[in-house]
Amino acid sequence: MIIEIGHYALVLSLAVALIVGVVPVIGARRRDTAMMALAPLGSLVLFGLVGISFAVLTWAYAVSDFSVKNVWENSHSLMPLIYKYSGVWGNHEGSMLLWLLILVFFSALIAVFGRNLPDTLKANVLGVQAWISIAFLLFILLTSNPFLRLDPAPAEGQDLNPILQDLGLAIHPPLLYLGYVGFSVSFSFAVAALIGGRIDAAWARWVRPWTLAAWTFLTAGIAMGSYWAYYELGWGGWWFWDPVENASFMPWLAGTALLHSSLVMEKREALKIWTVLLAIMTFSLSLLGTFLVRSGVLTSVHAFATDPGRGIFILCILAVFIGGAFALFAWRAPMLKAGGLFAPISREGALVLNNLILTVATATVLTGTLYPLVLETLTGEKISVGAPFFNMTFGLLMLPLLIAVPFGPLLAWKRGDFLGALQRLYLVAGLALVAGLAFYYAENGGPVMAVAGLALGFWGMFGALADLWYRANFGKAKFSVAWSRLKGLPRSAFGTALAHFGLGITVLGVVAVTTFETETVVELKQGMTAEAGGYSIIFDGMREAVGPNFTEERGHFTISRGGVTVADVWSSKRLYTARRMPTTEAGIVTFGLSQLYVSLGDPMEGGGIVVRVWWKPFILCIWGGALVMMIGGFVSLSDRRLRVGAPTRRVKAVKAALEAAE
Amino acid sequence: MVLWIVLAILTAGVAAILILPFARSARAVPAEHAGEIAVYRDQLKELERDQGLGLIDAQQADYARAEIGRRLLAAADADAEGETSKPSRYGFTTVFVTLLLPATGLCLYLMLGSPNLPAQPLEARLANPGNNIALLVAKAERHLAQNPSDGAGWDLLAPIYYRSMRLGDAELAYRNAIRLMGASPARLAGLGETLVAASDGVVTEDARVSFEEALRLQPDTPNARFYIALALEQSGKRDEARTAFEALAKDSPADAPWMELVSEHIARNGGTVPPPTSSAPAGPTQEEMRAAQQMSESDRRDMIRGMVESLAAKMQEDPNNLEGWLQLTRSYAVLGDREKAEAALKSGLKQFPGSGELVALAQQMGIAVEGVSQ
Repeated sequence: MIIEIGHYALVLSLAVALIVGVVPVIGARRRDTAMMALAPLGSLVLFGLVGISFAVLTWAYAVSDFSVKNVWENSHSLMPLIYKYSGVWGNHEGSMLLWLLILVFFSALIAVFGRNLPDTLKANVLGVQAWISIAFLLFILLTSNPFLRLDPAPAEGQDLNPILQDLGLAIHPPLLYLGYVGFSVSFSFAVAALIGGRIDAAWARWVRPWTLAAWTFLTAGIAMGSYWAYYELGWGGWWFWDPVENASFMPWLAGTALLHSSLVMEKREALKIWTVLLAIMTFSLSLLGTFLVRSGVLTSVHAFATDPGRGIFILCILAVFIGGAFALFAWRAPMLKAGGLFAPISREGALVLNNLILTVATATVLTGTLYPLVLETLTGEKISVGAPFFNMTFGLLMLPLLIAVPFGPLLAWKRGDFLGALQRLYLVAGLALVAGLAFYYAENGGPVMAVAGLALGFWGMFGALADLWYRANFGKAKFSVAWSRLKGLPRSAFGTALAHFGLGITVLGVVAVTTFETETVVELKQGMTAEAGGYSIIFDGMREAVGPNFTEERGHFTISRGGVTVADVWSSKRLYTARRMPTTEAGIVTFGLSQLYVSLGDPMEGGGIVVRVWWKPFILCIWGGALVMMIGGFVSLSDRRLRVGAPTRRVKAVKAALEAAE
Repeated sequence: MVLWIVLAILTAGVAAILILPFARSARAVPAEHAGEIAVYRDQLKELERDQGLGLIDAQQADYARAEIGRRLLAAADADAEGETSKPSRYGFTTVFVTLLLPATGLCLYLMLGSPNLPAQPLEARLANPGNNIALLVAKAERHLAQNPSDGAGWDLLAPIYYRSMRLGDAELAYRNAIRLMGASPARLAGLGETLVAASDGVVTEDARVSFEEALRLQPDTPNARFYIALALEQSGKRDEARTAFEALAKDSPADAPWMELVSEHIARNGGTVPPPTSSAPAGPTQEEMRAAQQMSESDRRDMIRGMVESLAAKMQEDPNNLEGWLQLTRSYAVLGDREKAEAALKSGLKQFPGSGELVALAQQMGIAVEGVSQ
């Protein structure tokens, strides 16, 4: 019975979404408070219903109810409990339900925290959110229903795809979806503003926390996904320019641009139309990403959910929402008033440059991702656009952006002093170059270009610190004065500095790994030694082991430096018995920020085995930087300014409540 | 019935919540731009704070103040001229909301749902498995996972695994049973058969040792004798093979189910074939009998049939599995269901037209295959 209640809750939520999608929007046109009041209420009910539905599916996984087809297809009674839970979204149907849950979760958040929004804007925003919910509810119910049953029920499930049986999978999709779907809020705000025909600085203030939250989660999700691919797939790479990776990277690039342009809009009421367009584009790219991954047009490591039949449905959703939003934009945007003016050299100017480069970069990635697909559809010719293309185009585009990053925060609004900023950054540039050179000598090798790359990383890091330094007026004012000024800086300033600092760390990691990485492929027999990164890796032999739902052959390696044993590591090849599917579990040892990566290949005749050993210097900087960016996002989110703007009636209501309580 | 009551309550509850705003008395319309004005006031305060801290110089602060002030005025003006809504009646909306919920809910749910199926958590099903063979096997597996030294359990499972062509599991189960309960002709012969099946009908060295061991314990184990003879045939010793097959035929009752196959092999190795006996369906082999000592004959047959059916269902879903078709055909042959065996063989050949293994199996069973000369 429980399963059917979950199914019915999902069906009923479609009805609720239909109501929330229609009544409040009409109410907003008529300025009818009762009809508009349905929006937050309905959104909370919607969240409740989808929540019930998701909880029921999770329960079915936890108790291994194989009468649910989805559970039978993707679970196994002997699987560890954590993977039973993560298995809920480790498959197409479940992950779409998670997508929907997060969508209605954001709607519920708007309903709860959006008290400061004008009623009409809120009703329209929640209405648009409900439209998206309707589309995805229909998609789930009609093409990807996780509640279909099997009768009679099988006794054992078919197990979860082994490469997904990993802690990384438990965290990666929810984070990624929080990011992807979070941008739906920016989209809904943009569409609502276009419907309402009014958009101003306050709008930017209201939409910014949502964009920031989505961006922060997406940053975390992408970093997590990259790290997961790094240690689970056993190829030793951390970014493959795989279409699925690009699918999550494009909304991130566009979202980063949106974050910066909404800043300009909030402060100066400039770039209004552009910001609205970016908000639409960012979510469109999220939808496109969902389409690319879910429709099965791609075959890649994420191919666990491919079904071409569903592609048409998502394509229709894509056409309706993206096409509709752009049509609305084309119709209403000319009616929006243009905002404040600014000189080319100013904070606004720097942010426009940022937007320009990020948008072009997004377009580049989009081209590189879609071109092979289009070509294959039209001519049947298969080509692959790989790392060389992206490194040439994307890498080149990032260069001026990274150089410009430290300038932005140092320039004044409206009219900036470029020479002044340059003077202040002389020291930073010098320091960055020295640090780059020092790093280069320490690592002892690699092309000369690396120095420039390393310096670029340090440039971003030091530039972020310099921003805080000069804002607090250290060096000029007395220390205590500067310190109190530093403490008085708004949280968002620290958020900015942290995010830019994190970007610098990531650049550093990328350059260091690309330049100084070593790869050794050797055939090892027991007792033989390989060398990498100054460490000796001694192969101690293979051993068989049995896990809960897999068997594995593990190789043991002892790692020593200068004759002293410093670590030991297992690297294994697993066979998941239910699916007869092999996976590679790389052995990874961390030394400071660098890692030694040992992966087993095929056994050779005569008892040897092919072993790949990578030395990955400073690789943790790549994800560490993303982590710092994420922390920057949260710090900025905690800025009190993002929470104000509530109409006075609420303050009065609170006061009245307090008085009543006393 | 309980389900429908719960669903009705759920629907009614949601409807009640959603029509709540229309039941309330009309509220005062808050100023539409109040939120905006609050944001601009806050921007002004922030500006003063920044100026106080010296983060922004006086001239810039003045510019910014003027700009924010303009926005503030615009918002306040807009409020003054905005009209308020008149109280209206919500009869239509209320009906729309209350009708749409059950209508959409019921229509879609009746289309998609399975209201009569109860939830079936695995633990509960295992606690009360009834006659479901798959569940009985799963239950036995769990028992063995916790008590891996229960030889009787392995002994019971081994032939079941073999019949459902889970050959790896069958081999493990036989070996465990032999290790824990000692060798018996049935177990040894069963292990041998499993190994032969695992290597696509070739009597490997391992299998042969196992059969010989079975014969040492009980010289008249017919299936062991059959495979030993088959091993001779496969290694090209036709005369010795024929002698062995003939000896087996002589020692077996005329209506023994394996006689047909034995005669076939005698003929293949150049011997004279006695007139074929009636094509009685192949009966249970010895180790099956032993495995099913605790059950009645019909239960056992049902059990095996159940497993074969599940394999057949699996093949329907995923026909791209040569091994599966071979197993299915053999299983039907073992069950004596010649029609279904032929059907399975033909489906397999449709999927893998060039498969030598399937053709060989067809010839072994004497089935004429279209487009394949015998």
